[in-house]
Formats: sequence, C-alpha cells, structure tokens
Amino acid sequence: MTGPLNVNEVIDGRYQIKSYIDKGGMQYVYKANDLILKRLIALKTPQNPSAEKRFNRSAIVAAKVNHPNVAKTLDYFEIDNRQYLIEELIEGGDLEKIILQKVKYVDPYLVAKIFHYLAKGVAASHHVGVIHRDLKPTNVMVLSGLHVNSIKITDFGIAKMAEEELVEAIEDGEATISKSRTVVGALPYMAPEVISTPREVSFPADIWSLGAMMFELLTGNKPFGTGLIVIHKIIEAIPPEFPSFITNKAQFSYLSKKLIELILSCLQKDAATRPTADQLVEHCGTLCYPTTERYVGTVKEIRYNSWGFISNDEPDVFFNLDSVYGENPVNGSNVWFSKFPGDPNWRAHPVVCLK
Amino acid sequence: MLDLPKRYVPNGASDSGGFGSVIYCKDEHLDRPVAIKFIREDSEKHRLMDELNALMLLRSKHVVQVYDIVKGESDSIGIVEEYIDGDDLSNSPIPKTSYEYYLKTLWQIASGIADIHGAEVIHRDIKPNNMKLDKEGIVKIYDFGLSRDEGAKAVTKGFKGTFGFAAPELIASGFVAFSRAVDTYAFGATAIVLSGLGLPDALQKIPPQPLPDNFMSTLPFKLTPDLASLITACLAPNPNDRPLMTHVRDLLSRHLLHNKHQALAVHNNKPLVLNSSKRTISLRFSDVGEIVIEYDGFRFYVSAVSGEVLINNQAVSVGKEIPKSCVVALGGSHRRANERQFITFDVSNPEVVL
Repeated sequence: MTGPLNVNEVIDGRYQIKSYIDKGGMQYVYKANDLILKRLIALKTPQNPSAEKRFNRSAIVAAKVNHPNVAKTLDYFEIDNRQYLIEELIEGGDLEKIILQKVKYVDPYLVAKIFHYLAKGVAASHHVGVIHRDLKPTNVMVLSGLHVNSIKITDFGIAKMAEEELVEAIEDGEATISKSRTVVGALPYMAPEVISTPREVSFPADIWSLGAMMFELLTGNKPFGTGLIVIHKIIEAIPPEFPSFITNKAQFSYLSKKLIELILSCLQKDAATRPTADQLVEHCGTLCYPTTERYVGTVKEIRYNSWGFISNDEPDVFFNLDSVYGENPVNGSNVWFSKFPGDPNWRAHPVVCLK
Repeated sequence: MLDLPKRYVPNGASDSGGFGSVIYCKDEHLDRPVAIKFIREDSEKHRLMDELNALMLLRSKHVVQVYDIVKGESDSIGIVEEYIDGDDLSNSPIPKTSYEYYLKTLWQIASGIADIHGAEVIHRDIKPNNMKLDKEGIVKIYDFGLSRDEGAKAVTKGFKGTFGFAAPELIASGFVAFSRAVDTYAFGATAIVLSGLGLPDALQKIPPQPLPDNFMSTLPFKLTPDLASLITACLAPNPNDRPLMTHVRDLLSRHLLHNKHQALAVHNNKPLVLNSSKRTISLRFSDVGEIVIEYDGFRFYVSAVSGEVLINNQAVSVGKEIPKSCVVALGGSHRRANERQFITFDVSNPEVVL
C-alpha cells in the first residue's frame, strides 16, 4: 500500500479500503467498499497542501456533471482534517495505459467512436457550466481494456486544482514549468489561451484538448510535440501535419478525412471559431463508425503480400491487407481487430498492429 | 425524532403524499439542493436497497438522480435525491406547442423509462405529474418511491398507483403480479394526455377498457400510422402484447432522426456515401451479383438483389434492413477469392438534438 491509508481501514464508518489503485499528480486513489450501499467505489484523498486547498470546491464542481461518459462524483467529506472524495469506480485503466501504450495509433473507426463519446461527456459538463481544463489521455478511463466498451472522463475536480498550479507555473516561466509534473503532462493538450492568458480560460479550451487527443490517437503523435518547445508551437497554433498513412488506404480515407477536418476545427487558435461541444456532438453524429467488439490475435500467415489469417481463441480469421490501418503486420505480429461473419472464415476489419 | 446527518440542512419546505413525506434540504458538503423522501421500510428491505442501489448507478439524462440513503424515523428510510427546480410536465404547455416538441417529449420519457428498466427497476407510477422539466427543458422522471423490482417478488397487495394510468392488471384485489409492462401502459396513457386531449373515458373505467377503434385519429397531432399503433400497443390489455420501452424509444428516435443518417460503403476502393441527398447505391460485381441499397430517411434497406449476395454471410432478401455495420459479399463461398468482392458498410450514430 502507498499513501496515508491502510487495507481494511474504515473511513467515516462507511468506506472500507480494499486496495491502493494509483496516484495522480494531486491525489491518492483507493478502491473501497461502501458498507452501507454495498458497492465498490473509488476513494480519493489529496496528496499535498496545494491539492487540499481546492479539494472541496472541485468536488462540488465535479458533482454537477451526470453523464454516462463522465465518472460520477458521489460524495465528499472531511474527517480528522483529511479530505475524501468518493467517485464511481472504473475498473480498467486510462487511455494512455490501455490504448496508447499498446498500439502506435488507433484506426479512424474507433477514433470516431471515442471522439463522439468524449464530445458527449464534455457537452454534458459544459451544459452545467463545468469546464474540465485538463483533458488528456490519463484523464480518460477506458472500460474492459482493448475491447473499449465504454469511455469515461474523470478528474473534473482535479482539473481546477491543476489549473492553479498551471497558472502559477506559466506565470513564473519555463523553469517552474519544467519542474511541475502536472504542467508537463498537460502541456501537449493545452490550448494557446491556457498558456497566454491562463486566468481567462473557458469552454473552448476543452474543445482544443479534445482535438489534440484525437490527433494523437489517429496519428500516434502529439500534435505539437513534447517538451517545452510545444509552448511556442501551440501559441503559434500552426495546424499540425497528418502523416500520409492516415488517408492512403481507400478503406479508411473517407472517414479519416472527416476526422482530420473535425480535429483541425478544434485546433484553431481563435477560441471563438472552434465548434462548441454541442456542435461537435452533432458533427460526430454524421461519422459512420461501427460499435463492434474488438479482439486481440496473432497473424499466422500472409500470402501473396495481400491477405492472411489471424489466430485467436476462435477459428482463424481471414484478413486482407486493405483492412490494415498503418503499418502492415508480418507473421507473428500481434494485432487488434474487429470481425464479421464469413464463409469459410470470418473476416477481420479493421486490423491494427499492437506494439 | 428525526436525526438527519448534519450536512443536510432543511430549508423549511416539505410535502407529503401517498408515498410518505419529503423535505427539501441543502447538502452542505456538495453545495446543492436535495429532496429527501421518507418511505416506510417494509419487510423487503434487501429488495428495496438493491433497487435503490440500481438507481444510484443509473446515469440517465431523463431520470432524477438518487444520491444517497439516510435513516429516517423509526422504520422509515430517507432517499436523498436530486432536486429539480422546474415545472411539472402536467402543467407545461411545451409538449402541446408542436408535433416536433410532442415527439421529443415522448422520446425523452421513453428514454428515461427504458433506462430505469435497463437497471431492472419498475417505476410503477408513470404519469405527467411525476416528471419535471428542468431549466434546459429536459424531462426528468422522478417519484419512483413506489417502485418494485421485477421478478418473482413483483407482487403488490391491493392497489397503489394512479387511476387512469394504472394498467388493468394492477386494478384487482389481493396479490397482483406485475411486470415492467405496467410502465409501458402508463407511458401510453401519458402520451395521450400530453397531446392535450385529456384522459380518455375508457382508461378512467375501473378496470380500464381498451381504447375505441381509431381513437388515435382524434389526437390533436396527426401521428404516422406506425406511431399510432405503437401507442395503441402500449395500452394493450394483455401486458405481453405491450412493446419494450427500448423499442418505443427507438421508434420515436427513428422519426426524430428522419433524414439525419449517413452510411458509408467502400467498394472497389471507392467510398460511396448514402444519405438524404443520395438515397440509393448499387453494389455490383460483373454478373456475379448485385445489391441495391436504399435510404428512406428512416433506415437503410435492400431495395433489389440479384445473383449471389450475402450480408454478414447471410442470405439477402428485398425489404430487409441492413445491419448497422456489416460486410457485403458479392459471390458465394464456392468461388475462388478473385471471383468474390467484399464491401464494408457502416452507418452513423446521430443523436436526437433536444
């Protein structure tokens, strides 16, 4: 165990700690059992005084948002000078751990689905006046691993705290920025106005961050790179270039082009010209994407450099290289795919290589 | 004496009704208004807790949120709920202002009930007075204090509910078995009332009677035949003849999303887009097989087929709806690879805009 709490410790006569989950930049996260309502929940408690300062206020803000694509804040209380936040438990991991560490990039079908779900969650929060301010892959939770059955935005509360640290660091200059883990992690997804006028950030900052995240999923790269150099690139907001593999296959090009248009609309320097979250939900509603299940398997043979078979637990699945997004697999490559009934074999589409 | 946790500070307002009593408070911890509804804990405490737990997991836009449970006086418990500052749907002119608003209201109610049923809970007292419109004009269903789990224990002693909205199977003496179809019936009655027509005489009889033939044509709004028969089916005397609320929701959204869908087929390395401005595509592979897919504003379906055509490896017939995501094969499985063509077909997932 890590952090201030121990296994089996009961907080407030109600929440029994089961295990330590993780620590974000600001807080320790535990899995706990709600003894009254007999359910598992996530219990969060601040890591340091700067997190304590805003913990209560951020819980109040986060609790306003009620949407299937947002992790729900359930409760907040203070006991013996320690603050606790109770949140819906999401068993899985974040977008960074579950997806970006496993694949180089994500096919446009799944990007469209994730984009649509996140836009819906962000729209719900904007409707109740809540700005996330720190949307990034580690703040997006993915249920059931590579199956990506559901997506939930988390840490709305933390965002407001992170902002204070951000504002301080940005106003202090680059030396402070590079020392702050929170700031360095958030930088690649930060809108230009967050850097230039951090105290006047509004809803469009979330839209920019969504665009930046979707750029990363689709291409495997951060739109403006990493490190401190991104500050200058973001402020200039020169539209990032999309690698050619995204559009060079007929199977993907139509949807990819639509996604590129949407992503670029989010990454406009002038906050007022970015789409609203509602508009984004509507645009995403025109994208044609399947919600079929994803599987993981191993390529067992490729013939004539044009087609092959994937083995997993079920009978072998046929695939055509036209269905591969990005780099082609070789014999023995682990791949991530959806499949459709076929005879003599089911057909995989799309297919993406695992790292 | 009521010993409420200190975080809940009563604002002085309260209410009572058949279900028990409700007090309005401010939750000091999360700085928000809440309604705490006290109901008697009956012998089925576990069932009640299971059900409240299910409702607490619900993330529906159209159902008032249940936040927590507190202990009430002696044998009662308090359900801490989201407080909605808004008009009761029975007082709202909005559904009556246009056909579109009417359908949008019905769709929101159907979505809320479908979500409640998805959590395996029965509401049991669906009616316009138990729905509110919030500041953004979103319908929120509340007052599921009487609700019972579905299943073997779904029986009630005597009648608790609202005449005019209660299904015929509920209006009986003694132990009455019921299912989620009681909510479907009440939805049907609600749909008629919200049109501005008032409760039909047939539904006010005890027990309620079937609607007269062609009753739906007397509604202020001219419903399409499928929607008229949908609402009639909701009011079917036999609970087994009533549709699932997911079906009701989906049929309503089909109308609200009229002409809003897109479909994308990739054939011979070319994207083919189907939508309201391009309603037909033909997928053909020499003389092996051909399929014509059409969009009628509601669905994508097979309008003509000839030769060897399979969708997700199933035979194809004219009129059949195309699955939301599928592979179309031109050429049967007896053919060699170069004598077959495969086309991916995907449709968009538009949302109802409220």
